[in-house]
Amino acid sequence: MKILLVDDEKRFVILLSKRLALRGIDTDHANSGEEAVAKVTDHHYDVAVLDVKMPGIGGIALERKLRLLAPGMKTIFLTGHGSETDFKIGSAESAHYLSKPINIEILLEELKNVMGKSSV
Amino acid sequence: MIGRFREAVKLIWPEFYPKISGRLNPYFTIADYRKIWGIGITLLTATALVPLAVATITYYQMVQRLVDSELVLRTERVASNARRAVTFFFEERLDALKFTVNEIGFDQLTDADHLLAVLRNLRLGFGGLADLSVIADTGVQIAYAGPFKFEEKNYGNQVWFEECKQHNYYVSETFNGYRNVPHMIIAVKGLRPDGSFFILRATLETERLFQTLSSYEPGAHADIFLTNRSFMLQTPSKYYGDIFEKMSLPPLNYSRKTQTVMSIDNKLRSIITGYAFITTKQTGTPFVLMVVKQKAGMIGALLAVRSNFNWVVGLGTLIIVVVVTVLCTIMVNLLFRADRSKAETMVLMEQSNRLASIGQLAAGVAHEINNPLALINQAAGYIKDLFIIEKRYQNDEVIMESIDCILDAGDKCAVITKQLLGFARNVDTKIQKVNLREVISDVLIFHEKEAVYRNISIAVSMPKENLEIETDPGKLEQILLNLVTNAFHAMEDGRSLKIQASASNEEAVVISVSDNGCGIPKENRQKIFEPFFSTKPKDRGTGLGLAITYGLVKKLHGSISVESRENEGTTFTITLPICIREEEGKNEDTPGG
Repeated sequence: MKILLVDDEKRFVILLSKRLALRGIDTDHANSGEEAVAKVTDHHYDVAVLDVKMPGIGGIALERKLRLLAPGMKTIFLTGHGSETDFKIGSAESAHYLSKPINIEILLEELKNVMGKSSV
Repeated sequence: MIGRFREAVKLIWPEFYPKISGRLNPYFTIADYRKIWGIGITLLTATALVPLAVATITYYQMVQRLVDSELVLRTERVASNARRAVTFFFEERLDALKFTVNEIGFDQLTDADHLLAVLRNLRLGFGGLADLSVIADTGVQIAYAGPFKFEEKNYGNQVWFEECKQHNYYVSETFNGYRNVPHMIIAVKGLRPDGSFFILRATLETERLFQTLSSYEPGAHADIFLTNRSFMLQTPSKYYGDIFEKMSLPPLNYSRKTQTVMSIDNKLRSIITGYAFITTKQTGTPFVLMVVKQKAGMIGALLAVRSNFNWVVGLGTLIIVVVVTVLCTIMVNLLFRADRSKAETMVLMEQSNRLASIGQLAAGVAHEINNPLALINQAAGYIKDLFIIEKRYQNDEVIMESIDCILDAGDKCAVITKQLLGFARNVDTKIQKVNLREVISDVLIFHEKEAVYRNISIAVSMPKENLEIETDPGKLEQILLNLVTNAFHAMEDGRSLKIQASASNEEAVVISVSDNGCGIPKENRQKIFEPFFSTKPKDRGTGLGLAITYGLVKKLHGSISVESRENEGTTFTITLPICIREEEGKNEDTPGG
């Protein structure tokens, strides 16, 4: 399972990436929507963990783009706003989301759920 | 009947009269309704009464002028007639004496018998003649016919003799003679063949003159009398003095014609005086004829009519004042009620706006804190991961405790920001049929153990039939859970909780959660739905529970109210629609509380 972490807060994604790596999960990270698109174009990821609110391409728009590039890739949204309004705007009705600050154990649980649904 | 009476009283009862005070005060558009009411009554009354007053005064003045004019005319007419009669009285007697002087002549008149015969004839013709005497040009009386013996009396130095000698005629004032009876003298000068003169003098009793005058007396409140030119009374007067006294009326100016003046007499009666200076064609006389009429007596009938008119005007004024007062009261009442209703709405809006503003602020703060919090959380988590997974410092309790402390604090902050966001959140509303009994049972499961442990009894009262509404079950559960949790916090051990649910009408259900706990102080009741307002100890509450509940109830198109008595308990009552459309739920604004 390879995960792409996308958040404009560089230190956050690095720390999260390292913590997941310590737990044996292969991760990559990007600090903007553009960078994420480039990475997904070049590499395969099972799950993308996207911050909803980012400068440039936001999480919702990014999810739409990534879905076109990698239709089988699952998405988990991170939101600091705690509001689900954004998700109504997006098309991903079955999208998973976690509110910041996230608990690593809950993130792991969510990853399991996501992957479980895709029978991977 | 009583109901209608009450409605009428309510309509005109001045609700606005007590001074406006309390929380509604700042929202009233008009601060002083009493003033508005007073000004309204004054202006409307003045508008209605001023024309009435002007018309009444004008009418009175016009009538008064007409009446005065009529009274003056009447008085003048009486005075003129009486003047003619008095003038004629003197002229007639002077003519008779002149005729006697010319016709009979000096020689025969000085004959005592002849003179007596003339006296008798004159008495027969005119009456009231006391005596006759003939005075020679020396002033010595040379013949006399009458009851006294006045022969050879000398009048040469008397005023009347000189007057008659110069003007041929003479009329005296009234005076008391030897008999102490009022009388007057008239005298006529005659010429003898030798060119010398003599005077025929007659003494007149005044009775006949008095009779002549009193025949013109014009009524009960009128007086007619003669004065001399110094205004000494020459005949008796009913109101202004006795004969030979000074008349108790102001003196009058000389006039050749009959005159009328209006004045006030010594007893402050309004009077009209008609007067004439009596002058005969032969000579002037010392007499002034006076006709005095009291206005009050003459216009008695008019005063009676005026009294009736005053009553009508007074009654009209009273009706106008009452109608204006009632109308003003009704209008100001309506205005006041509309203003009060607006003020109440403003208070509610202010509360709602305040909660909405706080909600937005809370959401903003939470969002801004969440990102750095996430970083702290991950950093601390990563350090702990390193220590545990890579087994560095794993036995250093101080470091491990410190990291746990950071993580715990981060978690607590996360709980608070989540609550803040929950307070402001515009979550999806998922409408479905909900069985109230089931929802209440689900909620009570959370507190079952605590109730047993604390010996708190729980009673649920519901109608037997299933009470179902279409709403968001999650939100309803959260609402009830918050209220039940609050009730448990408010109660000491051994108390009781009561939940009631019923359909208030075909469109709404009412659910109440009552406890017999500590109650909410009056000063706090307005604030309990505001975020961060809490009376609980700091470690037990964030002050968001009821704010969130308020927001959720609004989200479900319901309303929430609270009744509480200190040390007796509190009842929260929520009213929810039996059916709400999903769109309404989704489009609802972010709740303020």
